[in-house]
Amino acid sequence: MKTNFKKEENIISKINEKEITDSEGEDLTQKEFEEYIAKSGAKGSFMVYRSNNKDDELGLDEI
Amino acid sequence: MSSNSSSKELQSSMEDIIKKKQYENFDSWVTNFASNLPNIWNENSAKKLNLKIQNFEKEKNSAIVIGRGPSINKFEHLKLLAESNYQGNIVCSDGILSNALKAGVTPDKFPKFFVVTIDPYPFVKKHYEDEIIKSYGSKIKGIFTVITNPEVVEKARDAEIQIHWLHSLFDYNEGKKSFNNLSALMIRAKNIEHKLPAIQTGGNAGTAAWFISWQILKCSTVALIGINHGHEEDDPLETIIYHNNKEELSEGVDRDSITFQKLYKKVYNPDFNCICILDPLYQFYSEALKEFISRSPDWLTTINATEGGSIFGDRIKSMKFKNFLEKYEI
Repeated sequence: MKTNFKKEENIISKINEKEITDSEGEDLTQKEFEEYIAKSGAKGSFMVYRSNNKDDELGLDEI
Repeated sequence: MSSNSSSKELQSSMEDIIKKKQYENFDSWVTNFASNLPNIWNENSAKKLNLKIQNFEKEKNSAIVIGRGPSINKFEHLKLLAESNYQGNIVCSDGILSNALKAGVTPDKFPKFFVVTIDPYPFVKKHYEDEIIKSYGSKIKGIFTVITNPEVVEKARDAEIQIHWLHSLFDYNEGKKSFNNLSALMIRAKNIEHKLPAIQTGGNAGTAAWFISWQILKCSTVALIGINHGHEEDDPLETIIYHNNKEELSEGVDRDSITFQKLYKKVYNPDFNCICILDPLYQFYSEALKEFISRSPDWLTTINATEGGSIFGDRIKSMKFKNFLEKYEI
Protein backbone atom coordinates (compact mmCIF):
# COMPACT_ATOMS: atom_id res chain seq x y z
CA MET A 1 0.00 0.00 0.00
CA LYS A 2 1.27 3.43 -0.89
CA THR A 3 1.81 5.50 2.21
CA ASN A 4 2.76 9.08 2.66
CA PHE A 5 3.21 10.02 6.27
CA LYS A 6 5.94 8.23 8.18
CA LYS A 7 4.42 6.16 10.95
CA GLU A 8 5.52 6.99 14.42
CA GLU A 9 4.68 3.74 16.17
CA ASN A 10 7.72 3.75 18.40
CA ILE A 11 7.15 7.17 19.82
CA ILE A 12 3.39 7.32 20.17
CA SER A 13 3.45 6.30 23.79
CA LYS A 14 5.98 9.00 24.60
CA ILE A 15 4.34 11.97 23.03
CA ASN A 16 1.43 14.10 23.99
CA GLU A 17 -0.91 16.38 22.12
CA LYS A 18 1.16 19.49 22.73
CA GLU A 19 4.29 17.93 21.32
CA ILE A 20 2.43 16.90 18.21
CA THR A 21 1.05 20.38 17.76
CA ASP A 22 4.49 21.88 18.26
CA SER A 23 6.22 19.42 15.99
CA GLU A 24 3.69 19.81 13.22
CA GLY A 25 3.94 23.57 13.05
CA GLU A 26 1.36 26.30 13.02
CA ASP A 27 -2.37 26.00 12.53
CA LEU A 28 -3.97 26.44 9.17
CA THR A 29 -4.72 30.05 8.34
CA GLN A 30 -8.03 31.38 7.05
CA LYS A 31 -6.43 32.12 3.67
CA GLU A 32 -5.00 28.61 3.35
CA PHE A 33 -8.36 27.06 4.24
CA GLU A 34 -10.16 29.30 1.74
CA GLU A 35 -7.73 28.34 -1.02
CA TYR A 36 -8.16 24.65 -0.21
CA ILE A 37 -11.96 24.90 -0.30
CA ALA A 38 -11.83 26.89 -3.55
CA LYS A 39 -9.67 24.19 -5.14
CA SER A 40 -11.34 21.15 -3.65
CA GLY A 41 -14.95 22.24 -4.08
CA ALA A 42 -15.91 20.88 -0.64
CA LYS A 43 -18.61 18.70 -2.15
CA GLY A 44 -20.08 16.21 0.24
CA SER A 45 -20.22 18.84 2.93
CA PHE A 46 -22.86 21.06 4.39
CA MET A 47 -22.65 24.10 6.60
CA VAL A 48 -22.75 24.54 10.37
CA TYR A 49 -25.79 26.49 11.58
CA ARG A 50 -25.15 29.47 13.83
CA SER A 51 -27.71 31.65 15.59
CA ASN A 52 -27.83 34.43 18.17
CA ASN A 53 -29.98 32.01 20.13
CA LYS A 54 -27.31 29.47 21.02
CA ASP A 55 -29.87 26.82 22.07
CA ASP A 56 -31.27 26.83 18.52
CA GLU A 57 -27.86 25.71 17.25
CA LEU A 58 -28.54 22.30 18.83
CA GLY A 59 -31.74 21.89 16.81
CA LEU A 60 -35.45 22.61 17.04
CA ASP A 61 -38.13 20.06 17.96
CA GLU A 62 -40.27 21.07 15.00
CA ILE A 63 -41.00 24.04 12.76
CA MET B 1 -4.42 36.27 21.94
CA SER B 2 -4.77 32.81 23.52
CA SER B 3 -4.49 29.74 21.31
CA ASN B 4 -8.03 28.81 22.37
CA SER B 5 -9.59 32.05 21.15
CA SER B 6 -7.41 31.91 18.03
CA SER B 7 -8.71 28.39 17.35
CA LYS B 8 -12.31 29.56 17.78
CA GLU B 9 -11.71 32.44 15.38
CA LEU B 10 -10.23 30.07 12.83
CA GLN B 11 -13.23 27.71 13.18
CA SER B 12 -15.58 30.66 12.73
CA SER B 13 -13.69 31.72 9.60
CA MET B 14 -13.82 28.14 8.28
CA GLU B 15 -17.57 28.06 8.82
CA ASP B 16 -17.99 31.37 6.94
CA ILE B 17 -15.92 30.09 4.03
CA ILE B 18 -17.84 26.78 3.83
CA LYS B 19 -21.14 28.66 4.06
CA LYS B 20 -20.16 30.95 1.18
CA LYS B 21 -19.09 27.95 -0.89
CA GLN B 22 -22.25 26.01 -0.08
CA TYR B 23 -24.47 28.95 -1.02
CA GLU B 24 -23.23 28.61 -4.59
CA ASN B 25 -25.64 25.65 -4.67
CA PHE B 26 -28.60 27.49 -3.13
CA ASP B 27 -30.65 27.45 -6.35
CA SER B 28 -30.41 23.67 -6.56
CA TRP B 29 -31.54 23.33 -2.90
CA VAL B 30 -34.67 25.34 -3.73
CA THR B 31 -35.27 23.23 -6.84
CA ASN B 32 -34.77 20.04 -4.84
CA PHE B 33 -37.24 21.21 -2.22
CA ALA B 34 -39.86 22.20 -4.80
CA SER B 35 -39.60 18.76 -6.44
CA ASN B 36 -39.84 17.00 -3.07
CA LEU B 37 -42.74 19.06 -1.72
CA PRO B 38 -45.66 16.90 -2.99
CA ASN B 39 -44.03 13.86 -1.40
CA ILE B 40 -43.23 15.73 1.82
CA TRP B 41 -46.93 16.62 2.11
CA ASN B 42 -47.84 12.93 1.97
CA GLU B 43 -44.95 11.27 3.78
CA ASN B 44 -43.93 11.19 7.43
CA SER B 45 -42.23 13.80 9.54
CA ALA B 46 -39.11 12.46 11.28
CA LYS B 47 -40.83 13.69 14.44
CA LYS B 48 -43.01 10.59 14.28
CA LEU B 49 -40.00 8.37 14.89
CA ASN B 50 -39.80 9.19 18.57
CA LEU B 51 -43.53 8.57 19.01
CA LYS B 52 -42.99 5.07 17.69
CA ILE B 53 -40.51 4.18 20.37
CA GLN B 54 -42.42 1.72 22.51
CA ASN B 55 -42.16 1.79 26.29
CA PHE B 56 -39.94 4.80 25.95
CA GLU B 57 -37.39 5.11 28.72
CA LYS B 58 -34.82 7.69 27.80
CA GLU B 59 -32.28 6.46 30.32
CA LYS B 60 -32.31 2.98 28.78
CA ASN B 61 -32.40 4.07 25.15
CA SER B 62 -29.10 3.90 23.28
CA ALA B 63 -27.90 4.26 19.70
CA ILE B 64 -24.86 3.34 17.69
CA VAL B 65 -23.99 5.90 15.00
CA ILE B 66 -22.09 4.32 12.11
CA GLY B 67 -19.82 6.39 9.88
CA ARG B 68 -17.49 5.30 7.12
CA GLY B 69 -14.18 6.37 8.64
CA PRO B 70 -11.16 4.06 8.27
CA SER B 71 -11.48 2.52 11.76
CA ILE B 72 -14.67 0.75 10.75
CA ASN B 73 -12.68 -1.71 8.61
CA LYS B 74 -9.45 -1.59 10.58
CA PHE B 75 -11.15 -2.95 13.72
CA GLU B 76 -13.89 -4.95 11.95
CA HIS B 77 -16.53 -3.06 13.90
CA LEU B 78 -19.36 -4.07 11.58
CA LYS B 79 -18.52 -7.74 12.11
CA LEU B 80 -18.37 -7.22 15.89
CA LEU B 81 -21.75 -5.51 15.82
CA ALA B 82 -23.32 -8.15 13.59
CA GLU B 83 -22.23 -10.85 16.03
CA SER B 84 -23.51 -8.98 19.08
CA ASN B 85 -26.87 -9.04 20.86
CA TYR B 86 -27.16 -5.25 20.86
CA GLN B 87 -30.79 -4.20 21.37
CA GLY B 88 -30.61 -0.47 20.72
CA ASN B 89 -30.92 1.81 17.70
CA ILE B 90 -28.65 1.65 14.67
CA VAL B 91 -28.21 5.01 12.92
CA CYS B 92 -26.20 4.67 9.70
CA SER B 93 -24.82 7.52 7.68
CA ASP B 94 -25.84 6.91 4.07
CA GLY B 95 -22.29 6.25 2.86
CA ILE B 96 -21.90 3.09 4.98
CA LEU B 97 -25.40 1.62 4.51
CA SER B 98 -24.64 -1.03 1.89
CA ASN B 99 -21.43 -2.14 3.64
CA ALA B 100 -23.28 -2.45 6.94
CA LEU B 101 -25.99 -4.62 5.39
CA LYS B 102 -23.40 -6.81 3.66
CA ALA B 103 -21.61 -7.27 6.99
CA GLY B 104 -24.79 -8.57 8.62
CA VAL B 105 -25.81 -5.35 10.35
CA THR B 106 -29.37 -5.55 9.05
CA PRO B 107 -32.84 -4.51 10.23
CA ASP B 108 -33.69 -8.22 10.60
CA LYS B 109 -31.16 -8.42 13.40
CA PHE B 110 -31.52 -4.82 14.58
CA PRO B 111 -35.16 -3.76 14.06
CA LYS B 112 -34.56 -0.15 15.13
CA PHE B 113 -32.56 0.63 12.01
CA PHE B 114 -32.20 4.12 10.48
CA VAL B 115 -30.26 5.70 7.62
CA VAL B 116 -29.50 9.42 7.34
CA THR B 117 -28.98 11.60 4.25
CA ILE B 118 -27.98 15.25 4.65
CA ASP B 119 -26.01 16.16 1.52
CA PRO B 120 -28.25 17.80 -1.10
CA TYR B 121 -26.19 16.61 -4.10
CA PRO B 122 -27.07 14.11 -6.87
CA PHE B 123 -23.96 11.96 -6.27
CA VAL B 124 -25.52 10.72 -3.02
CA LYS B 125 -27.74 8.48 -5.18
CA LYS B 126 -24.86 6.01 -5.40
CA HIS B 127 -25.32 5.26 -1.69
CA TYR B 128 -28.75 3.77 -2.44
CA GLU B 129 -27.94 1.88 -5.64
CA ASP B 130 -26.56 -1.36 -4.23
CA GLU B 131 -28.91 -4.30 -4.82
CA ILE B 132 -28.67 -5.44 -1.18
CA ILE B 133 -30.60 -2.33 -0.10
CA LYS B 134 -33.69 -3.62 -1.89
CA SER B 135 -33.58 -6.77 0.25
CA TYR B 136 -33.94 -4.80 3.47
CA GLY B 137 -35.37 -1.44 2.38
CA SER B 138 -38.90 -1.96 3.68
CA LYS B 139 -37.54 -2.46 7.20
CA ILE B 140 -35.28 0.60 7.13
CA LYS B 141 -36.42 4.03 8.27
CA GLY B 142 -34.81 6.70 6.10
CA ILE B 143 -34.30 10.23 7.37
CA PHE B 144 -33.86 12.84 4.65
CA THR B 145 -33.46 16.59 4.62
CA VAL B 146 -36.14 18.40 2.58
CA ILE B 147 -33.44 19.68 0.22
CA THR B 148 -32.18 16.19 -0.68
CA ASN B 149 -31.84 15.73 -4.43
CA PRO B 150 -35.16 14.13 -5.48
CA GLU B 151 -33.40 11.41 -7.50
CA VAL B 152 -31.71 10.28 -4.29
CA VAL B 153 -35.00 10.00 -2.39
CA GLU B 154 -36.62 8.27 -5.35
CA LYS B 155 -33.87 5.66 -5.33
CA ALA B 156 -34.51 5.07 -1.62
CA ARG B 157 -38.26 4.98 -2.24
CA ASP B 158 -37.73 2.39 -5.00
CA ALA B 159 -35.98 0.21 -2.41
CA GLU B 160 -39.08 0.67 -0.17
CA ILE B 161 -37.15 2.56 2.49
CA GLN B 162 -39.67 4.31 4.76
CA ILE B 163 -39.16 8.01 4.07
CA HIS B 164 -39.14 10.51 6.96
CA TRP B 165 -38.40 14.21 6.47
CA LEU B 166 -36.63 16.90 8.45
CA HIS B 167 -35.17 20.35 7.91
CA SER B 168 -31.41 20.89 7.91
CA LEU B 169 -30.92 24.22 9.64
CA PHE B 170 -28.89 26.80 7.77
CA ASP B 171 -30.64 30.18 7.76
CA TYR B 172 -33.50 29.99 10.28
CA ASN B 173 -31.78 32.76 12.27
CA GLU B 174 -32.57 35.15 9.39
CA GLY B 175 -36.25 35.23 10.38
CA LYS B 176 -39.54 35.03 8.51
CA LYS B 177 -37.99 35.30 5.06
CA SER B 178 -35.42 32.58 5.69
CA PHE B 179 -35.58 29.52 3.47
CA ASN B 180 -35.88 27.28 6.55
CA ASN B 181 -38.99 29.22 7.64
CA LEU B 182 -40.54 29.61 4.17
CA SER B 183 -40.10 25.91 3.39
CA ALA B 184 -41.70 25.02 6.76
CA LEU B 185 -44.68 27.26 5.91
CA MET B 186 -45.09 25.58 2.51
CA ILE B 187 -44.95 22.13 4.11
CA ARG B 188 -47.68 23.13 6.58
CA ALA B 189 -49.82 24.72 3.85
CA LYS B 190 -52.02 21.63 3.46
CA ASN B 191 -51.89 20.47 7.05
CA ILE B 192 -50.96 22.94 9.78
CA GLU B 193 -49.89 20.05 12.03
CA HIS B 194 -47.37 18.66 9.54
CA LYS B 195 -44.29 19.99 11.29
CA LEU B 196 -40.79 18.63 10.88
CA PRO B 197 -37.82 18.58 13.24
CA ALA B 198 -35.04 20.99 12.29
CA ILE B 199 -31.56 19.74 13.03
CA GLN B 200 -28.02 21.00 13.17
CA THR B 201 -26.06 18.90 10.67
CA GLY B 202 -22.57 19.88 11.75
CA GLY B 203 -21.70 19.75 8.05
CA ASN B 204 -21.87 15.99 7.46
CA ALA B 205 -24.08 12.90 7.78
CA GLY B 206 -22.12 11.41 10.70
CA THR B 207 -22.56 14.46 12.91
CA ALA B 208 -26.19 14.77 11.79
CA ALA B 209 -26.74 11.12 12.79
CA TRP B 210 -25.39 11.91 16.27
CA PHE B 211 -27.87 14.82 16.56
CA ILE B 212 -30.76 12.66 15.32
CA SER B 213 -29.92 9.94 17.86
CA TRP B 214 -30.55 12.17 20.86
CA GLN B 215 -32.68 15.00 19.49
CA ILE B 216 -35.23 12.83 17.66
CA LEU B 217 -34.74 9.26 18.89
CA LYS B 218 -34.18 10.55 22.44
CA CYS B 219 -31.30 8.20 23.19
CA SER B 220 -29.43 9.04 26.38
CA THR B 221 -26.36 7.05 25.29
CA VAL B 222 -24.94 7.51 21.81
CA ALA B 223 -21.91 5.53 20.68
CA LEU B 224 -19.85 6.42 17.62
CA ILE B 225 -18.09 3.97 15.32
CA GLY B 226 -16.45 4.91 12.01
CA ILE B 227 -16.63 8.56 13.03
CA ASN B 228 -12.92 9.24 12.70
CA HIS B 229 -13.27 12.74 11.24
CA GLY B 230 -9.70 12.16 10.12
CA HIS B 231 -7.46 9.83 8.14
CA GLU B 232 -5.21 7.04 9.39
CA GLU B 233 -1.47 7.62 9.16
CA ASP B 234 -1.11 4.73 6.74
CA ASP B 235 -4.00 5.69 4.48
CA PRO B 236 -2.93 6.05 0.85
CA LEU B 237 -1.94 9.58 -0.12
CA GLU B 238 -4.66 9.78 -2.76
CA THR B 239 -7.32 8.90 -0.20
CA ILE B 240 -6.13 11.68 2.07
CA ILE B 241 -5.81 14.34 -0.60
CA TYR B 242 -9.15 13.59 -2.21
CA HIS B 243 -11.05 13.18 1.08
CA ASN B 244 -12.45 9.84 -0.12
CA ASN B 245 -14.10 11.53 -3.10
CA LYS B 246 -11.56 11.34 -5.84
CA GLU B 247 -14.02 11.99 -8.59
CA GLU B 248 -15.48 15.03 -6.88
CA LEU B 249 -12.49 16.77 -5.38
CA SER B 250 -9.98 18.55 -7.54
CA GLU B 251 -6.37 18.02 -8.43
CA GLY B 252 -5.58 21.46 -7.06
CA VAL B 253 -3.67 20.48 -3.95
CA ASP B 254 0.06 21.06 -4.38
CA ARG B 255 1.68 18.36 -2.29
CA ASP B 256 5.10 20.03 -2.60
CA SER B 257 3.92 23.34 -1.24
CA ILE B 258 5.17 24.65 2.10
CA THR B 259 1.59 24.72 3.38
CA PHE B 260 1.02 21.00 2.70
CA GLN B 261 1.86 19.89 6.24
CA LYS B 262 -0.45 22.58 7.62
CA LEU B 263 -3.27 21.50 5.33
CA TYR B 264 -2.88 17.88 6.46
CA LYS B 265 -2.33 18.26 10.18
CA LYS B 266 -1.34 15.41 12.48
CA VAL B 267 -3.21 15.12 15.76
CA TYR B 268 -2.47 12.80 18.66
CA ASN B 269 -5.51 11.13 20.18
CA PRO B 270 -4.58 10.42 23.82
CA ASP B 271 -7.68 8.30 24.46
CA PHE B 272 -6.71 5.71 21.86
CA ASN B 273 -2.97 6.46 21.81
CA CYS B 274 -2.84 7.02 18.08
CA ILE B 275 -2.17 9.70 15.51
CA CYS B 276 -4.61 10.76 12.84
CA ILE B 277 -4.35 13.17 9.93
CA LEU B 278 -6.91 15.89 9.45
CA ASP B 279 -7.39 17.50 6.08
CA PRO B 280 -8.97 20.97 6.25
CA LEU B 281 -12.50 19.59 5.90
CA TYR B 282 -11.95 17.12 8.72
CA GLN B 283 -10.52 19.95 10.86
CA PHE B 284 -13.79 21.79 10.23
CA TYR B 285 -16.00 18.74 10.95
CA SER B 286 -14.00 17.66 13.99
CA GLU B 287 -14.03 21.03 15.74
CA ALA B 288 -17.78 21.39 15.16
CA LEU B 289 -18.70 17.92 16.48
CA LYS B 290 -16.47 18.30 19.56
CA GLU B 291 -18.02 21.68 20.30
CA PHE B 292 -21.58 20.35 20.02
CA ILE B 293 -20.82 17.32 22.19
CA SER B 294 -19.41 19.64 24.85
CA ARG B 295 -22.64 21.70 24.69
CA SER B 296 -25.04 18.73 24.64
CA PRO B 297 -27.57 18.20 27.49
CA ASP B 298 -26.34 16.70 30.75
CA TRP B 299 -28.59 13.65 30.33
CA LEU B 300 -26.68 12.62 27.20
CA THR B 301 -23.56 10.44 27.26
CA THR B 302 -21.50 10.32 24.08
CA ILE B 303 -19.19 7.33 23.79
CA ASN B 304 -16.53 7.33 21.10
CA ALA B 305 -15.93 3.66 20.25
CA THR B 306 -14.28 4.44 16.92
CA GLU B 307 -10.86 3.50 18.36
CA GLY B 308 -9.12 6.20 16.37
CA GLY B 309 -9.66 9.58 14.78
CA SER B 310 -9.89 13.09 16.11
CA ILE B 311 -12.97 13.02 18.37
CA PHE B 312 -11.86 13.23 21.99
CA GLY B 313 -12.09 15.76 24.80
CA ASP B 314 -14.80 17.40 26.87
CA ARG B 315 -17.88 15.19 27.54
CA ILE B 316 -16.53 12.41 25.27
CA LYS B 317 -16.05 9.02 26.88
CA SER B 318 -13.80 6.77 24.85
CA MET B 319 -13.83 2.98 24.98
CA LYS B 320 -13.19 0.01 22.72
CA PHE B 321 -16.28 -1.01 20.77
CA LYS B 322 -16.05 -4.53 22.15
CA ASN B 323 -16.30 -3.09 25.67
CA PHE B 324 -19.24 -0.89 24.69
CA LEU B 325 -21.12 -3.90 23.34
CA GLU B 326 -20.42 -5.93 26.47
CA LYS B 327 -21.76 -3.12 28.60
CA TYR B 328 -24.80 -2.15 26.53
CA GLU B 329 -25.94 -5.18 24.56
CA ILE B 330 -28.58 -6.25 27.05
